[in-house]
Amino acid sequence: MPLDTSSYALAHLRLDGRRWNELRRLHAQTSTQAAADGSSYLEMGNTKVICTVAGPAESRKGGGGGGNAEAKIEVEIGIAGFSGVERKRRGKGDKRTSEMRHTIASAFSANLFAHLYPHSTITVNLHVLSQDGSLLAACLNATTLALIDAGIPMSDYIVACTAGSTASYASNDEDADPLLDLNGLEEQELPFLTVGTLGAGEKVSVLIMETRMQMTRLEAMLAAGVDGCRQIRSILDGVVRAHGKAVLDSAIS
Amino acid sequence: MAPYTTIPLSPAELSYLHTSLSQTPPIRPDGRSPTQFRPLVAETDILPSTNGSARICFPDGTEAIVGVKAEVERSKQENNGSTSEVHLKRDRRMEQQNEDMEDRDANEGKGREGWVELAIEIPGMRDDDALPIFLSAMLTEALLADQGLKDALYINTRFHWRLYIDILLLSLPLSYPLPLLSQTTHLALLSTRLPALVSEQDEDPLFNDDWEASTYLYPKSNPSQTAQRKPPITLLVMAVGETILFDPSADELAVADAVVALSVTQSTAGLKLIALRTIDPPSRLTSGGIPNALNTTPVAAGAQQTALSSNEALKLRENDQGRSVWRPPRGGVKRVVLSRMIKAVVEEDGVGGEVMQGLANVET
Repeated sequence: MPLDTSSYALAHLRLDGRRWNELRRLHAQTSTQAAADGSSYLEMGNTKVICTVAGPAESRKGGGGGGNAEAKIEVEIGIAGFSGVERKRRGKGDKRTSEMRHTIASAFSANLFAHLYPHSTITVNLHVLSQDGSLLAACLNATTLALIDAGIPMSDYIVACTAGSTASYASNDEDADPLLDLNGLEEQELPFLTVGTLGAGEKVSVLIMETRMQMTRLEAMLAAGVDGCRQIRSILDGVVRAHGKAVLDSAIS
Repeated sequence: MAPYTTIPLSPAELSYLHTSLSQTPPIRPDGRSPTQFRPLVAETDILPSTNGSARICFPDGTEAIVGVKAEVERSKQENNGSTSEVHLKRDRRMEQQNEDMEDRDANEGKGREGWVELAIEIPGMRDDDALPIFLSAMLTEALLADQGLKDALYINTRFHWRLYIDILLLSLPLSYPLPLLSQTTHLALLSTRLPALVSEQDEDPLFNDDWEASTYLYPKSNPSQTAQRKPPITLLVMAVGETILFDPSADELAVADAVVALSVTQSTAGLKLIALRTIDPPSRLTSGGIPNALNTTPVAAGAQQTALSSNEALKLRENDQGRSVWRPPRGGVKRVVLSRMIKAVVEEDGVGGEVMQGLANVET
């Protein structure tokens, strides 16, 4: 159990030395691939995700898919065989992967100014190089950066992070604390949810929870998650602005 | 249709390229010499959760990442007859050899092909499309040609290492991805380490927890040995008439007369050719230009337009032989050209050695 350590009992420090409301190291880069329209590389702790965006481009099915007044967003996720501790080759039709793809696609369909690109398709390709918790959140953040790099307008950043609860550990349930940004080991044992907000405010656009827990804890977890999203948004915004400044200074094209 | 075969060049441009490349010395669109490679960005050990990893970016934007993972697996037990035979041979050989011979010589011949598994992922293509299957077959064949690799995976009679090589092409295949994937795999294998074995003989394998004690799958240069095992490398070579060009760009491939994939590996006597495969050049999918005599558009008011029969038109094209306008190449490769290609790669200070040297110098 990740919270059975003495350091948690005495000082409320998790396995990696973080407190309940501390994020893992977030490292992000945009424009990492020259061949793609937009690309990004994002690390949340040990979870590493590469995102490339192609588009808006003409729909492959020509007139068949056309007739849409808005651009269509297609998401592909490739989880590398070497991403977990054990080597596991996952097919593209995996249920979990399909659900993640659908979540990401619908979150961005609502957010992007897709009406500016009728009859076209925006293809998002995510490659997961290493998994250690917060996979869906990392994918959403990487997609945001890549779409911004591709120059596709949106109303605000979609930022996501995970929040969990110490409920299963604490014997006294009233004392259960929310935890921010769970790593892989914590995700396996504790109940957690992934929350994605639109910008720094309180507009929640993505909320996914697969584990079970008591309803009373939901509010605290959501509040912690939304707060974490605000921190992540400012980090990602800093990355985008730094890249923009470098481009304007003609350091890179 | 594979994306790399959509060539946005007109017959006039193709003819121009073909003529420039046929000169002596050949004039390449980017001004490189025939054996000059484009600069690339390479890094190794980028994924700490794998046994070995590498990433290479080519200047045209294509990028690949390879991760190597090794897992211990139970060996299928062979019949008693063959194992005792192997033991006898081993004992006899042990008497003859020096005691400080490395373990892998004692494991000679014990490796099995099924212990290496290679998987390629190309975005936009399913796993059963032709390109991923063909590429993985070529790369696996080159890897398994080296018995030393399979022997290095042997632990004892009951267990062995199973090597999983996962290759991810991160960008769409803008140009034929074979050289990129092969070089990235080479680099990843060079950095692959296996935990050091602590247990003895046939007991359940126990490994040293200290990663610093781990051994490289392809040992680094050992001064006592003359040759050092190295993973294979597959190079793409093209021919235009009598000219041989290395590291062809997409434009150059569009006018190639022949494209060949050469797999070489390091052996005791220098570089050794493992496999040679011809690849259908994308130039065959281009359409030929129309000679002026067959031009049916009205040129001037007074010009006589005589419509030729289809036989006469065909005869005219054949006689032209692609001299006045572009014609997709026909036929195969001359043996002389093939042997020159092989020699250029395999010889001392040849292209193959240069590429291997370059990759060996990539720092972590």
